[in-house]
Amino acid sequence: MNARLARLLALALAAAAPVRAHITPPVVLASDRDAVARLLAGSSRYFVREVRLSPTQRESVRQKTGWTPDEDLYRFYVGRTADAVTVGATIFISEFTMHGPVRVAVALAPDGRVKGVSVVEVTEETYGWVKPLLDGGFLQRFAGRDAGGALSQTVDSGGSMSRFYAGVIARLVGRAAALYDVTRSTQ
Amino acid sequence: MKLSRFPLSAKLFCTLFLMGIGCGSLAAFAQASTAVGLSPAAVRESLSPEMPMTAMGHGQMSAEKEIDLAQIPESAKVWMRTPLLIQTSHTHLFGQTLIAGLLALIFAFNSLREGAKCAIGALPFVGTWLDIGGMWATRFASPSLSVLVIAGGTLFALGYALIAGFSIYDLWFRKELSA
Repeated sequence: MNARLARLLALALAAAAPVRAHITPPVVLASDRDAVARLLAGSSRYFVREVRLSPTQRESVRQKTGWTPDEDLYRFYVGRTADAVTVGATIFISEFTMHGPVRVAVALAPDGRVKGVSVVEVTEETYGWVKPLLDGGFLQRFAGRDAGGALSQTVDSGGSMSRFYAGVIARLVGRAAALYDVTRSTQ
Repeated sequence: MKLSRFPLSAKLFCTLFLMGIGCGSLAAFAQASTAVGLSPAAVRESLSPEMPMTAMGHGQMSAEKEIDLAQIPESAKVWMRTPLLIQTSHTHLFGQTLIAGLLALIFAFNSLREGAKCAIGALPFVGTWLDIGGMWATRFASPSLSVLVIAGGTLFALGYALIAGFSIYDLWFRKELSA
């Protein structure tokens, strides 16, 4: 009887191994409202602008970034002064890695260059790899860059997983800048 | 072979497993309530496709409207896009089905009638399918089907509670009649 039980237990433990692959809970670093308010500082009026990409615009984004936009619509929060001068536009954009989603807010100036970047959501597991990037000022490197400049941002320090997530964030900023660029005529 | 006749070590391991799953279920309940919410409306908000904030119609390529900053969500909510739904589905289907299977394995040695064991032991499996299937149905069929996600989670919890209760009773409190 004991041998039978031991076999059952061993089988059960072996079968339970994949449970460890569970994605860890989300870590929210900033709410959407806080991110918009911070990245569009100086604005007194806020607008939401939603755009659907034409096939030409999707192809243009793909050529700039290697990524094909797949959402039905993209939403920009636009900040303007009381005199209707555009301060910038912020877009939230995510990538789903095997360790969970990374969501960033990217603010673009009217000329299409990056004004600021904020990581708004990661997971418990990825936070340990993303935090050194935040502490090391990685996000500040994107200011003034266009889509191509954003994509070229990397880090030399930190562990391999931090470098991997630096690449993820750089891709997201590049995609945001490219999305803004191809829709700028309608902004 | 019955749970009440298990050797002490097996009784201990089964009990520890049931307790561990109970703690895990409470943690999962707390996480679901804080990250998404426990009402069909909260599930619907989290899973159904993002609706335009502007009055953008079909075929319209862009639209803009002025908003108050307060209209942008203050409390960050997890919005489950399709790639995250795929990730969540595969990990939860593996994980919950394995948990349901291990619960059923313990429960198979319970002294209840076979019919009752089948009905109760199947609850965590059915709950898992309803839960994950309900997420996909809410996303792609109808937002009103978010009630399936709540029903699935409830069935899983009910199944666990019954299995744990009957099993602990059999393991430690049932007196076997001598032949």
